[in-house]
Amino acid sequence: MASIARLSEDDLRWMCCRCSRPLEVGPVELTYLGNSFTLELPRCPDCGLYLIPEELATGRMAEVEQILEDK
Amino acid sequence: MKSDEREPTESLCPVCLARVPAERRFAGEEVRLEGHCPDHGMWSTLIWSGPPSYRAWCADKGTVSCSVPREAVLSTPSACPLACGLCPEHQQSTCTAVLEITRRCNLVCPICFAESRPDTPGSDPSLRELEATLRDLFIMQGSVNLQLSGGEPTLRADLPDIISLARAAGFAFVQLNTNGLRLAQELEYAEKLRDAGLVSVFLQFDGLMDATHRAIRGRAFGAEKLRAVERCAEAGLAVVLVSTVVAGVNDGELGALVDFATEWAGVVRGVHFQPVSYFGRYPVGERPRLTLPEILRALESQTGSRIKADDFEPSSCEHVRCSFRARYWVREDGRLELVRSETGACAAELSSAARRAVAATARQWSLGPVGRNDYVGDYGSDKGDTAGAACDDLDRFLEAAGRILAVSGMLFQDAWDLDLERVRRCCVHALVPGRGLIPFCLWNLTSESGKRLYLRTTTGGP
Repeated sequence: MASIARLSEDDLRWMCCRCSRPLEVGPVELTYLGNSFTLELPRCPDCGLYLIPEELATGRMAEVEQILEDK
Repeated sequence: MKSDEREPTESLCPVCLARVPAERRFAGEEVRLEGHCPDHGMWSTLIWSGPPSYRAWCADKGTVSCSVPREAVLSTPSACPLACGLCPEHQQSTCTAVLEITRRCNLVCPICFAESRPDTPGSDPSLRELEATLRDLFIMQGSVNLQLSGGEPTLRADLPDIISLARAAGFAFVQLNTNGLRLAQELEYAEKLRDAGLVSVFLQFDGLMDATHRAIRGRAFGAEKLRAVERCAEAGLAVVLVSTVVAGVNDGELGALVDFATEWAGVVRGVHFQPVSYFGRYPVGERPRLTLPEILRALESQTGSRIKADDFEPSSCEHVRCSFRARYWVREDGRLELVRSETGACAAELSSAARRAVAATARQWSLGPVGRNDYVGDYGSDKGDTAGAACDDLDRFLEAAGRILAVSGMLFQDAWDLDLERVRRCCVHALVPGRGLIPFCLWNLTSESGKRLYLRTTTGGP
């Protein structure tokens, strides 16, 4: 659960809009250009809908994306 | 593939450089470019010798995104390729602009597309002229990759100023194409260039054997090449090793070059192979030619299959038959792991990428079944037990990213294998003061007798 440290309190307060259940932190595998990355993210225990915090999307994910795209 | 299948195209006569009809002729795994000049007859050049087969490479792997130049300098279609600039017929915008800042060189290599030498006549373009040229380029194409070339650019005392003005003009990626001698010989020169804004060194590095350097460059200087790499490492400059590959000279050194690049991973970010093309200055006599598949197979066999021919893809930028590339993560024990990149990309697409919204960024990542994790799970294994550390796959990838090595190559076209279909898709353009952008191969093309398609005029003056 190492990466939980990267999540803010606000990130952990979301509810799933489909299932009305609070999100729980769990492993989510993201793939991009054939490469896979497992992260601990808030996700719905029922339907699997997950939340990517803005800071993660604009920060490390964007950085990795650029490297994979060789930019 | 059916034997004797043909595809029409156009080429130039190697003797008179007139535009003439040509065709690609297929026979088994081989493809030849055959052309006919009404005045000088027929010629035929081997352009593909698979495997991989021509069709597999071009159809299965090659998805070139077409992007017309942001602004064509010439307003009306011209007689391509004889009045280039670029014109509206061109089908790809600039990815890399190559700017020759001098025609002088401190070597007289037996092989030189620019025909440079210490006493090359003419003066260098002035700083003011270069500034205006770069400003125009930025207006036309935006922040493309800029390569300062020559001649030998380090012969100019004001090279740091040129780098600075290029950065000030808006070019984020400025690369120096050099033989590395001054970098090796002059203390703190690499630091000076770095401080001026240089990002990367495109280092002439044909091989590791003295015989290779003697044959291609006229003398042995392996020690200087190594010193140049060391100096760049000390200065924090990225290095791309560039090898001109000549059949029968250094085509047995491809694996050794990959090994060398692997040892220097972190500093050496790429090893780039350029099979020799016959333009400019080259030895009289036979013109041995290496096709793209032969290079791929040599890379596989000479690395003991540490890298495989099937790892390689064409760039999505230039024409599918002009280049190949693959990237590897260099593990601490020297193993190479392929970094998948299902769609290649280049700076021509940077502007749209930069505008991507957060939502779009997230959309491009897709959720897969947890547990498969067949590749990235390995990112942490070099680091031992990371339990308890604030570290995840993204962190591990970013930490390892500095040790990603690109293995790539580009096949320039000369008067014997020029295919106008490839020319029009070219994204590596010479930036010529007063003329605009000209596909690199056209700018350097010479006929059988040495006549240039595009004359280099003397420039200079404030």
